[in-house]
Amino acid sequence: MEPILELKDVCKSFSKSDFRLDNVSFSLPYGAIMGFVGENGAGKTTTIGCILNTMARDSGTVRLFGTEMADADIQMREKIGIVYDGDNFPGYLTAEKLAKIMEGFYESWDNSLFRKYLDDFHLPPRQKIKSYSKGMTMKLAISAALAHKPKLLILDEATSGLDPIMRDEMLDVFLEFVQEEDHSILLSSHITSDLEKISDYITFIHDGKVIMTVSRNDLDYHYAVMRCREREFLSLDRADILAYRKRDFQIDVLVADGNAARKKYKDAVIDHVSIDETILLLVKGERV
Amino acid sequence: MKGLLKNNFYAVYANAGLFSIIMLLLGIFVIAACNAIPSLLIGYALSVMVGFSINAISGLGKECSSKWAKYKLTVPVKRTDIVKSYYISLLAWLLTGMVFAGICVVLSILLHGYPFDRGTDILILFTAGISLSLFMSAVFFPSFYLGGEEKSEAIIIISILSATAIFMVIVNLINLLLGSGLTTLQLILTAGILLACALLAFVLSYPLTILIFVKKEY
Repeated sequence: MEPILELKDVCKSFSKSDFRLDNVSFSLPYGAIMGFVGENGAGKTTTIGCILNTMARDSGTVRLFGTEMADADIQMREKIGIVYDGDNFPGYLTAEKLAKIMEGFYESWDNSLFRKYLDDFHLPPRQKIKSYSKGMTMKLAISAALAHKPKLLILDEATSGLDPIMRDEMLDVFLEFVQEEDHSILLSSHITSDLEKISDYITFIHDGKVIMTVSRNDLDYHYAVMRCREREFLSLDRADILAYRKRDFQIDVLVADGNAARKKYKDAVIDHVSIDETILLLVKGERV
Repeated sequence: MKGLLKNNFYAVYANAGLFSIIMLLLGIFVIAACNAIPSLLIGYALSVMVGFSINAISGLGKECSSKWAKYKLTVPVKRTDIVKSYYISLLAWLLTGMVFAGICVVLSILLHGYPFDRGTDILILFTAGISLSLFMSAVFFPSFYLGGEEKSEAIIIISILSATAIFMVIVNLINLLLGSGLTTLQLILTAGILLACALLAFVLSYPLTILIFVKKEY
């Protein structure tokens, strides 16, 4: 089965900046949540812009539901829900007026479902959006993204700025969404604890390049970090090392197969690696 | 398209409401006042037509304080439809202004008699209001996407000034060609030329705006 979203060698440069997306490739299968991780300015929003055609890519292909999306493909956009960080909607609107606008955009807009989300999230429908708190505007954006029953949700830093309780509520909504096996989520975030809770795959991006895409299963059960002294590090087989980072008296080494490393290097200290630590090793350390 | 038109309506709803109330009160005053010197009536008719048009284009700038302009590109509408919706909304608000002006002029004539020298003066009055609005929009829409949304207030002012300048240049050119003391037929011709130029500018600015907007990145 083709993935719901597939990027191949997507490049994008800017005339007024040195930053560029450099051959970004990854694919998101149906029924999965992919965490799209990178530091601020790594290229997450630019990649999403290229996926959604809000930005024109220089080269490469983006396939959604198996085909490339052009501006005229409005039926394809019926199947995509978007949530951006911050104010998605103009402040002069109310949730009620927003629903009337959205009803005009989407054939599949379900007003009763939108009302249900407003009730569930305690969002007053007649209050102007400009007087909503940040958490409320994000909840409204998520309600609007879900109320037209999309198959693919693209969330660009949608949980940033929310308190832990609200984030947890949102993550439950996302998990419920992917209960349908033809639903998927691309969730860009630098809050890795959220991704650890819900994602099936993680794609790491740094300086416009995808460093690695890994399944959570592999990250949890296979990837590991070795804590080495200089002497131990020098004796390691280079083929086992993905990345390493020197600290005061220790070198942390990211390996793809922790179990194999435990067998091969019996005296080594090998720990489970978190998403945060993986990012630090891949970004701040030396990649091999 | 329905969603876009509703969006454009909500963007100007509050301002349009306030402007309508003020123009309604002002209209009552103009109707009640003696129209022996028609400058008040002329001023009202022009400002209500141009005012509603300015109100329509100001809605674009209001969207820029949020990510709405970017969000709209992800919903099931084409970029051309987004531009088209602004042109349709502008025409709808101009028509609203014309209705306000028309009612005021008709009631003033019914109450106080015909205030102008010639029958064609009303035609010239409405032609001026429509032409100024269309010239202004023709300058505003492409400039808005070209110049950057954050400069929308400045672009509105530039558009009003440009529209007035274009209008004056065309009127002066016609006067130069036809001389002073125009006949009724020449006045109708002048109105026709003005309206044709304004419509042409308005129609031509549409593909130009689309050309700019399809390349716009958010």
